[in-house]
Amino acid sequence: MIFLLILSFTISAKDTPDDAGGSITINVYNIPEGTEQIELYRLTKGDTLFEEVGLIPIFKGELDDATVTDGVLYLYKATALTPDTVYVAEIKEFASSSPEWFNKSRTSVLLFIALFWVVILVYIQLAKKNPEGLFIRKLPPLEAMDEAVGRATEMGKPVLYVPGIEYITDAGTLASITILAKVGRKVAEYETRIINPHFDPIVMTTAQETLKNAFSEAGRPDAFNKDDVFYLTSEQFGFAAGVDGIMLRERPGAIFLQGYFYAESLILAETGYSIGAIQIAGTNATTQLPFFVAACDYVLLGEEMFAASAYISKEPRLLGSIKGSDLAKSVLLVLIGVGVIFGTFAAIKNVAGNPVYMEIFDRILEFLARTAE
Amino acid sequence: MKFWQRFLNLDRKWIFLGIGLVVIIPLLFPLRLPVKPSKPVIDLFNRIDTLGVDNGVVWVVTDFDPGTMPELMPMTMSVLRHCLTKGTPVVLHGGLWPAYIGMAKMAMDNIAVEFPDKKIGEDYVFLGYIPGVTAVILAIGIDIETTFGTDYYGVPYDSLPMMEGVKNYEDISIIVDISGTRSPEYWLMYGQQRYGVDVGIGCTAVSAPSYYTFLQSGQFVGMMGGLKGAAEYEELMERYGYPTGRRPATVGMDAQSFGHLLIVVLVILGNIGYFIVRRGERKVGIERRKE
Amino acid sequence: MSISTSIWVWIAALLTLMIYSFLYKENPFYRLAEHIFMGLSIGYSVVILWYNYILPRIYEPLFFPPHQWSLIFPILIGMMTFGIFSEKYNWLIKYPLAVYVAGYAGVQIPLQLQTMILRQAEASFLTPDKFTSLFSSFNALLIFAGLVTTLIYFYFSAKREHGLGGASQVGIIFIMIAFGAAFGYTVMARISLLIGRMQFLLQDWLGIM
Repeated sequence: MIFLLILSFTISAKDTPDDAGGSITINVYNIPEGTEQIELYRLTKGDTLFEEVGLIPIFKGELDDATVTDGVLYLYKATALTPDTVYVAEIKEFASSSPEWFNKSRTSVLLFIALFWVVILVYIQLAKKNPEGLFIRKLPPLEAMDEAVGRATEMGKPVLYVPGIEYITDAGTLASITILAKVGRKVAEYETRIINPHFDPIVMTTAQETLKNAFSEAGRPDAFNKDDVFYLTSEQFGFAAGVDGIMLRERPGAIFLQGYFYAESLILAETGYSIGAIQIAGTNATTQLPFFVAACDYVLLGEEMFAASAYISKEPRLLGSIKGSDLAKSVLLVLIGVGVIFGTFAAIKNVAGNPVYMEIFDRILEFLARTAE
Repeated sequence: MKFWQRFLNLDRKWIFLGIGLVVIIPLLFPLRLPVKPSKPVIDLFNRIDTLGVDNGVVWVVTDFDPGTMPELMPMTMSVLRHCLTKGTPVVLHGGLWPAYIGMAKMAMDNIAVEFPDKKIGEDYVFLGYIPGVTAVILAIGIDIETTFGTDYYGVPYDSLPMMEGVKNYEDISIIVDISGTRSPEYWLMYGQQRYGVDVGIGCTAVSAPSYYTFLQSGQFVGMMGGLKGAAEYEELMERYGYPTGRRPATVGMDAQSFGHLLIVVLVILGNIGYFIVRRGERKVGIERRKE
Repeated sequence: MSISTSIWVWIAALLTLMIYSFLYKENPFYRLAEHIFMGLSIGYSVVILWYNYILPRIYEPLFFPPHQWSLIFPILIGMMTFGIFSEKYNWLIKYPLAVYVAGYAGVQIPLQLQTMILRQAEASFLTPDKFTSLFSSFNALLIFAGLVTTLIYFYFSAKREHGLGGASQVGIIFIMIAFGAAFGYTVMARISLLIGRMQFLLQDWLGIM
């Protein structure tokens, strides 16, 4: 009797886990041998007749009924059809679906993000306490900036600073403004002229304030000429043509192309090259980097721009996030390193007939795959 | 030395003229250089080619505007022709941004002429533009009907026979995003990663290099990159006996090859000239110091 | 050979030529075509948004039965964006931005982490199955070396001393090769666009192709 009970065709129904509701998962067990088809029926509480839901795939023995309404109670019945018998299984208690607040399968992602978040917060706090204590490598283009301003001064030529054609909301534009402050201080020190054309009026106002401060910090507020920071046009190629015109007329000795650029990048860098100016570019627009690399003397590549602005400003939030992302990179490198070591061991040992390393390696891969799902 | 100096200072108008000529002449007198399909294109082709009627609909998205039409329209037409000839149900989604719906409309008008016996709503469906970009991709994963409501022509979703039983990504076999924007990343993140739907792409040559990483990791099923990718797909279509239209991408490839040849020659000459002129200047510098 | 008789093809062809006249030098025809294009694209977007969004998703559900009153809240939050046009009320824009940024970051960050970092890291592991042939082994090693050295190049927290300097030197070579490839692909894209326009001019307009 017990033997029969264990092997009898049964069915279970439960709310589908980790979903937004509207689904009940039905499983059937001990599918009788020779079953050709399993049909699923359901009865809504309060009704009298079972309605057909569909077929349960025999190889899976599982079906998600996604046609249910949350909170409504259902009774399920499955019939397994063999050539000579019809087996029936029914659940004893009503089942219902509900949405879950938390998707447990994504716990690892939450942990990852929380960890990253904590790391950045800690670094920001550290930076607030002692901004000099967090080391960030000095980038060669930053050193070249002072030199470029110096050379323009020697030649008696102005400095041209183009902040890209994005709005103030873009991270690249913000980094550009920080770098502008640094260049502005040097320009004021050397008593050179800085020309700063703009694509967007808000960025222009910000740049005016920034330069004004930079000149004051260098002790020469009177040397600042507000009219050299001006709005050109908000039309992409109109702006490019305008800046090209300035380059040809004013013949600057140093050109800074810092910010977010689009297809006008090469037009600007090429004209700058043709007039023989030292060009220092920097952009977070990765698609435009090849053109700057080809036509400029120094380039801040992508993230280097943010590192440069953190280096200059020592602003805790910038420093904290650069340090945080550096740590994330290290973790990633370690992770990849572990993957490689285990992979190699696994390959060697597996041939020798020792699958232990392979097992560990597979576990790691499995964990990662689950995280990435 | 003088020649090289003059070459380096060549007025760019001459280069424009040269490029114009090497593009126009092969268009007028085509050579039909051979096109060899590459793995990413073969993968995408095979994936669509092995789909049956019951595997779900193919969801083609036009995320491009007239600016990138020469590269991307041939891809769109090829994929639509491929599906319709095979009888695979196909949805054309008019893009994630408002300016792109015109491209989808143009493709639909062509399809109506090329496949007069195929019925809209039964064999293929045209869904319009819905604002929200990433929100739209996420919403398709929940319920397509409430996301779109009607097709492009205003026919209610439940009156489209082909869409019966098509509720969300589970009923879509593959997303083919033909894009001149960053949208393939969005479909990857919000469609593939979030809901597990397969994604294949057609993109401009500008963005193709950055998508190879996702091909290598298996996140994209396949890719057509630029005019070359479009020509390769046309080649596969022809090999397997599918209609190809006038093969606009393949016709353009001759001009493309000659354009590249000219640019390669210019780059090499420019570099030689640069080094010769620089060496010359250095020598002059040394002699002056000697004086 | 049959020149087009369609007025639209003629307009498109003439506008194309007007734009290309910029290659010689900036001129009023180029300017005219450029301004027509800008006006058109903005007008086009406004019409599409009006008929695809505002009418069916805001106006109709709100003013026709069954009225979806719950829509009022998101609409109100969205309306605050217009505060930007007033000096006095431009602080209002902070609220819709806060909702937008919070929601977007919540949806985006986990997915970005999974798609762009974890899945990519997983794919870069050197597993035994990547060494099935000489070519695939070489590829796997190359990708691995490129990934590691490029990551080191963008590591800012340490001086470029000891091994780090050498590794980042290798990293920059990989980056430059990637730039070269991107440059080449961009050339291809730009020539394709020219080909497309030429096909239009020679085929659809002049009919000589």
